[in-house]
Amino acid sequence: MAAPTMNRPSNDTGESPVQTLTISKALNMGLRASMEANPKVLMMGEDIGKLGGVFRITDGLQKDFGEQRVLDTPLSESGIIGTAVGLAIRGYRPVCEIQFDGFIFPGFDQIVSQVAKLHYRTQGKLRLPMVIRVPFGGGIGAVEHHSESPESYFAHTAGLKVVSCSNPTDAYWMIQQAIDCDDPVLFFEPKRRYYEKAEVDTTAKPAPLFASRVLRTGTAATLVAYGPMVRVALDAANAAAEDGTELEVIDLRTLSPLDLGPVYDSVRRTGRLVVVSEAPSEASIASEIAAKVQQECFYSLEAPVLRVTGFDTPYPPSKLEEEFLPDLDRVLHAVDRTLAW
Amino acid sequence: MSSPEQWTHPEPDSAPVATAATPTAEQVIAGLRATDEGGADLVQLLTPEGERVHHPDFDIDITAEELRGLYRDMVLIRRVDREANALQRKGQLGIWVPLLGQEAAQIGAGRAMRPEDMAFPSYREHGIAWCKGVHPTELLGIFRGTDQGTWDPVEKKFHPYTIVIGNQVLNAAGYAMGQKFDGKVGDADGEATVCFFGDGATSQGDVHEGFVWAAVYDAPLVFFCQNNQWAISEPTERQSRLPLYQRARGYGFPGLRVDGNDVLATLAVTRWALEECRQGNGPILIEAFTYRMDAHTTSDDPSRYRLSDELEMWKLKDPIERVKVHLVKQQWADQAFFEGIEEESEALAVELREFCVNMPDPPPGRIFTNVYAEGNPVLEAQRDEFLEYVSGFAGGEH
Amino acid sequence: MPQFKQFPMPDTAEGLTEAEILTWHVKPGDLVKVNQIIVEIETAKAAVELPCPWDGQVTELLAEVGQTVEVGVPIITIDLDPGGTAAPAPVAAPVEPAATNGTSTGKIGEEMPGGRIATLVGYGPRAGAAKRRARVGSAPAAVVQAPAAPAPEPVVAAPVPVVNPGGYVPLAKPPVRKLAKDLGVDLRSLAGSGSGGVITREDVEQAVGAPAAAQPVQPVVDSGSRERRVPIKGVRKMTAQAMVDSAFTAPHVTEFLTIDVTPMMELRARLKNSAEFRGVKVTPLTFAAKAVILAARRTPDVNATWDAAAGEIVYKDYVHLGIAAATPRGLVVPKVRDADRMSMRELAVALDELATVARDGKTSPADMMGGTFTITNVGVFGVDTGTPIINPGESAILALGAIRDMPWVVDGQVVPRKVCQLALSFDHRVVDGQQGSQFLADVGALLADPGIAMTY
Repeated sequence: MAAPTMNRPSNDTGESPVQTLTISKALNMGLRASMEANPKVLMMGEDIGKLGGVFRITDGLQKDFGEQRVLDTPLSESGIIGTAVGLAIRGYRPVCEIQFDGFIFPGFDQIVSQVAKLHYRTQGKLRLPMVIRVPFGGGIGAVEHHSESPESYFAHTAGLKVVSCSNPTDAYWMIQQAIDCDDPVLFFEPKRRYYEKAEVDTTAKPAPLFASRVLRTGTAATLVAYGPMVRVALDAANAAAEDGTELEVIDLRTLSPLDLGPVYDSVRRTGRLVVVSEAPSEASIASEIAAKVQQECFYSLEAPVLRVTGFDTPYPPSKLEEEFLPDLDRVLHAVDRTLAW
Repeated sequence: MSSPEQWTHPEPDSAPVATAATPTAEQVIAGLRATDEGGADLVQLLTPEGERVHHPDFDIDITAEELRGLYRDMVLIRRVDREANALQRKGQLGIWVPLLGQEAAQIGAGRAMRPEDMAFPSYREHGIAWCKGVHPTELLGIFRGTDQGTWDPVEKKFHPYTIVIGNQVLNAAGYAMGQKFDGKVGDADGEATVCFFGDGATSQGDVHEGFVWAAVYDAPLVFFCQNNQWAISEPTERQSRLPLYQRARGYGFPGLRVDGNDVLATLAVTRWALEECRQGNGPILIEAFTYRMDAHTTSDDPSRYRLSDELEMWKLKDPIERVKVHLVKQQWADQAFFEGIEEESEALAVELREFCVNMPDPPPGRIFTNVYAEGNPVLEAQRDEFLEYVSGFAGGEH
Repeated sequence: MPQFKQFPMPDTAEGLTEAEILTWHVKPGDLVKVNQIIVEIETAKAAVELPCPWDGQVTELLAEVGQTVEVGVPIITIDLDPGGTAAPAPVAAPVEPAATNGTSTGKIGEEMPGGRIATLVGYGPRAGAAKRRARVGSAPAAVVQAPAAPAPEPVVAAPVPVVNPGGYVPLAKPPVRKLAKDLGVDLRSLAGSGSGGVITREDVEQAVGAPAAAQPVQPVVDSGSRERRVPIKGVRKMTAQAMVDSAFTAPHVTEFLTIDVTPMMELRARLKNSAEFRGVKVTPLTFAAKAVILAARRTPDVNATWDAAAGEIVYKDYVHLGIAAATPRGLVVPKVRDADRMSMRELAVALDELATVARDGKTSPADMMGGTFTITNVGVFGVDTGTPIINPGESAILALGAIRDMPWVVDGQVVPRKVCQLALSFDHRVVDGQQGSQFLADVGALLADPGIAMTY
């Protein structure tokens, strides 16, 4: 199985184990912990070394671990992924950064043709314990190609594992667990949430990587979300509570394999499900969840599963993105619809 | 523009008959020819007539035993290639990818490599597989449809066949970077990597990105391009304006063209390139100038896009024939030797044939094995459901 | 056992259509090995040597030196098992589909041994299965959950033309379905009280009586005998109760009248082509409904009710006309309200819509209440007549029979006419024989001669 050690952070600063961290800082600390724990862990990506990354996720790492462990790569996504494959075969654990979601496509061929398939092609003789980190999603007022949600393409590709953190605690632990995983992991980071803070206990035992989590219990309906939409779902639930409607909120955390057991349990109690995701709904992860839930929980459904998603258009110019992205109002509108059934 | 009939049935008393060596302008434009002219930079140590020539930059001291060994390698791998071709004709393989004509390029490069050097093939390098100790029977499953390559890539230092054109070049660059990061580069005992690709692949972005990465990281990587003149039906003119070895200059590393039908030249040049890489002077591009004597795969029909006299020209440059002539002239091999090789190749063919026809079909559950290193409960549930469904057929599996 | 194979002239990858035999390198009786050169042929471009595809013994050369042979035509027969016993005639097929036999130069698009079409990258497409493969195990004996729709008996009830049973899905949410399934309730037997006819949880619970007493009703199937037992519930139960109530409370008298409706049918044809009735379905039932309404004005007794509790007979100024309909749920009698206020055209439209709604199983409970008179159209089943049972709460019911060509006397001659039988059952507490007969005679007269309606 995976390499044993996980993050036991050095306490030589005398810091309390519980810190208030942004997702960005939590990722940085998690990456550092992994680099310290295993000398075979390498970071590679554009501008991640001297600059520390365009979101500063890798800030300070090249200074401390050197240019051979934190590589400023040529501007070549196919190259980042393709050479990481070779390095993984050689015994390294590469952590690739794709600078923005919309730029993963030059590397798509290497991901689906080689990364996803080499373990199967060789029936286990080759392992690719690599992580591909991708800041994803919109809501940052950006120009084209910097607000995509491509996670469905990868969840659809056998041989890959896909996860997404929604908060600093998960960011801190899940990045380390993904690096320790012997399967290739697509690690989607909600870029609009990079600067949101929460308390993180760096000594607490983490939840398993490929597990969903109930964040809030409720009775009227179940909301399921991941990545940047978890915050939206929680805000919607708080607003609904003021009107006396108690919503249950589940953070998926893992998109492939999906851990839907807690979702099934929840739907059997509430009878109603709303899935919230930025990605367009056509042929998406949200659609997959709807299909699985209607199959497993058929007799429990008081209403059909509703999906609140981005529209089936290319991502619009940033002045329109607030209309495009699912927000609290659209989620509650869906909740109203499901309750009226 | 003239019409096609004129190219194959030239008017009497008109311009000289068009041949592969002297094509008409229309033929060139239409791409209906490949050259057999290697150019002045071509490194050659053994002529098609079996004469040894010397090259100022590259030479080789070859012993009789070594040359007999190279001859044996080429004869056996050609025999394997022809037998697998025949097996496909009988429906025992779905397709076969023939290397006919490219034996010297592959055996020369393969025998230049040391055991610790890593090879990243495309899907035609059965000769490299041979040199790396992968038995020809281990190649059959890919083409029969029973597996996707059964050898252990780590143990044999021979990567699985890569069918997506050019992907392996980037993977090789990464591996070579790893060799460097491991401190295995810098002296004569260093490690190196060789990636193999064709003329067509040099148009793929991944190959160019591989050039960039290997150059920027000084990776110990030999880019071994077998220019066999054709990418299915498209000649090299469709891939490049200039000879492929000259591309290396644009990326800042050496590029050479070697006579790919000359096993001594490819051996010498590849050895030199690997030594350079081991020392830390990589990467290096070698263009092995050769010819794809057979089709792209078994159902391709070259008569649709190339002239048969081109094949006749290249037959005169056969890689095995020139070695045989030289062995005989030097009295380095006698009739008993040649007969022995013939028997050995016959026995190998029988072995291949019997192995192939007896390969069992994999069981249905094999669809689901080893997709993930750490398992996947959702997939496992799907597998269990499927296996239960399969067990519900009277009379067992298909 | 000798096993003969024939080797066909191959296409040696140059687009050959034929070749000439130059030299045979073997003769009958020779032993041959795989890849051994057996013949030299001349193509348009060059002399080509052909290797033998099999080990064996040459049985027969099928072409002579100098002969031109087309590609695909066999040129030699080889026995693959020469040591075997005496054998039947050689196999005729030039290319054997089985894996070890035959050979092919299969270019893209050509057929390979095994029948698949060659492709650049693999074996090529394969025909899919045309039949299901047999499964093991036996399916458990089917447990009957729902009662079958009652076969309509002409005597008991006769409906509007019926849709194939099970032609619609009852509307119910998944949890309600589960409840119904667990309680053994057939959703098709329920009228949904939810909006749009959706069956609610309460509907299901009521169908089995008090929820507390609800037990899953499991019909018993005696798979060894030739009987099938079906629990009495739902529409069947309700219908049965109604029939019993009616039959054993109201004294039934049934009178019959046979009429010549040829004029009515002629009028029908004319109406069909008229502007007013274009696109409107006018049927014998339409006429019967109109006739009933008109006749009921003269004999209001048939439109009244015996109210035993109040000790009153209730005469009604309206006609809510019920039409008996057989639906997948069972017998229902939807009403056309205030049919007496409708024109013929409105009546025709209302009857058509009623039939459609009933077929779809969407008749609302409201539409099934409050009728004053019922018509049952046994004619659509080709049945002549019957003795219908009055709907509880009403005092009469008319059965409309099939319209047939029958011999009739017209102006002293026996001629074929369109003939129809009417049957009127009435409640003798409310309607005496004279009134009943008068009413029936009026209905018959109107149908026999629609012009009589002018006199009303």
